[in-house]
Amino acid sequence: MRRRHPFTLLALAGALPALAWILPAPAGGMATAAAALGLALLPAAGGGATVARAAVLTAAPFWAFLLLLHDAATALAIGLRLTTMVASVVWVVAALPPARLVEALVARGWSARAAYVFAATLAAVPVLRARARRIVEAQRCRGLSPRGGLVRRLRALRALALPLVLSALHEVDERALALETRGLASGARRTALAPPADPPAERALRWGLAALCAAALVWRLA
Amino acid sequence: MSGLTLDGVTFRYPATERPALREVSLEVAAGEVVALVGAAGAGASTLLLVAADLAPRVVGGTLTGRVQRPGRAGLVLPTPWTQVSGMAFTVWDEVAFGPANLGWPREEIVRHVEPALAQLGIAHLAPRDPATLSGGELQRVVIAGIVAMDPTLLLLDEPAAELDPEGARLVWRLVRALAARGKAVVVATSDLDAVPDVADRVVWLAEGRVAAAGPPAVLAEEATCAAGLGTAVAGVWRAAGLPPPYPLTVADAVRAWR
Repeated sequence: MRRRHPFTLLALAGALPALAWILPAPAGGMATAAAALGLALLPAAGGGATVARAAVLTAAPFWAFLLLLHDAATALAIGLRLTTMVASVVWVVAALPPARLVEALVARGWSARAAYVFAATLAAVPVLRARARRIVEAQRCRGLSPRGGLVRRLRALRALALPLVLSALHEVDERALALETRGLASGARRTALAPPADPPAERALRWGLAALCAAALVWRLA
Repeated sequence: MSGLTLDGVTFRYPATERPALREVSLEVAAGEVVALVGAAGAGASTLLLVAADLAPRVVGGTLTGRVQRPGRAGLVLPTPWTQVSGMAFTVWDEVAFGPANLGWPREEIVRHVEPALAQLGIAHLAPRDPATLSGGELQRVVIAGIVAMDPTLLLLDEPAAELDPEGARLVWRLVRALAARGKAVVVATSDLDAVPDVADRVVWLAEGRVAAAGPPAVLAEEATCAAGLGTAVAGVWRAAGLPPPYPLTVADAVRAWR
């Protein structure tokens, strides 16, 4: 899956949530959620069950709030749609290497700066996760345990969040300087070093997904 | 030919009272290596940002005075992790990131990337994922990435901070080699013992001002030694109560002793 053209992965991640909201509930949402979770289960997404588990865990709080606020049928309808959205995003973050996305965008004529900003949003998730893990380890060394009761966990969360946010902000400053000096804003059109192949079948698939979304919308509005 | 001219430069960061640089004038010729030394907060890193056209353009603040750099400047910061693009699968791609951003044709990129990798002794790392490298290796990759962009003015902020002794020696040799090829080099460093072999001139910054400037022998003068900015040999000589002039290097000390 990682070898697919980045636009194909983005098209899939965009089409599934769109269909989840367009198609009638709960069958439509069930189908799209199953498809999104199925994609997350693929080994190429970067670890099989790990990605799917991350998607389910991220979606779980939404389900809890929906069940508190709505009746079961509404909660199921919205929950499946939200699950599709969450699973699609988690899957595409895991399956799409930002470097390939930058190359694909630059090859399509995007400025390197705009492509970098777009891809950096995908790259930020694993970077922040790795840094959070390091901060937790450092806090453990200083006797703060992230395990235990709710109060203890909340205290650990505060000790994690502040250094995570501050270090991220500090890094943004330095990274901006480094990227500037490395010509990201030079104004020249960036040379694509290894533009990903975009076979006709994938282009057809993307158009097919767009047509499917449009047809579903027309059907629902008719 | 001048690689960098600062004429009466005063720079103030946003929302600060005190200028980080005050009336700094400095000229660096092509082929010359100038070392900036000073205590933390003296203004060396700020001077490099101004020289690289990043302050105030990117960091904000106000600048008065004149800054002239005839060609492209390349800046290496002290922390390697924040300088990698995060957009490269391999070390080769990481080093090529800058040249690609300049829009060079692929053949020209290859012509600059391969020698840069060789000069930094990291050609064997070319296929590796940058995320798997140590801090020292990564710093060499970052320096190679700047060297590959062929800047006329090279600005280095503590380039040896993350390196092991052999890596540091390699970087200092590279600095001399680049100067020999006509590059103007400004390096802010606390590796004072390396300065006599690397720099043609030393500029001592204190509270944003140029406190002293001259040949590397400045690092063996009483004032710099008293400020903790002398070389180790000069510092030991002084601490032992031996009379000035203090020797700059071990070789100087041996000569003076005999």
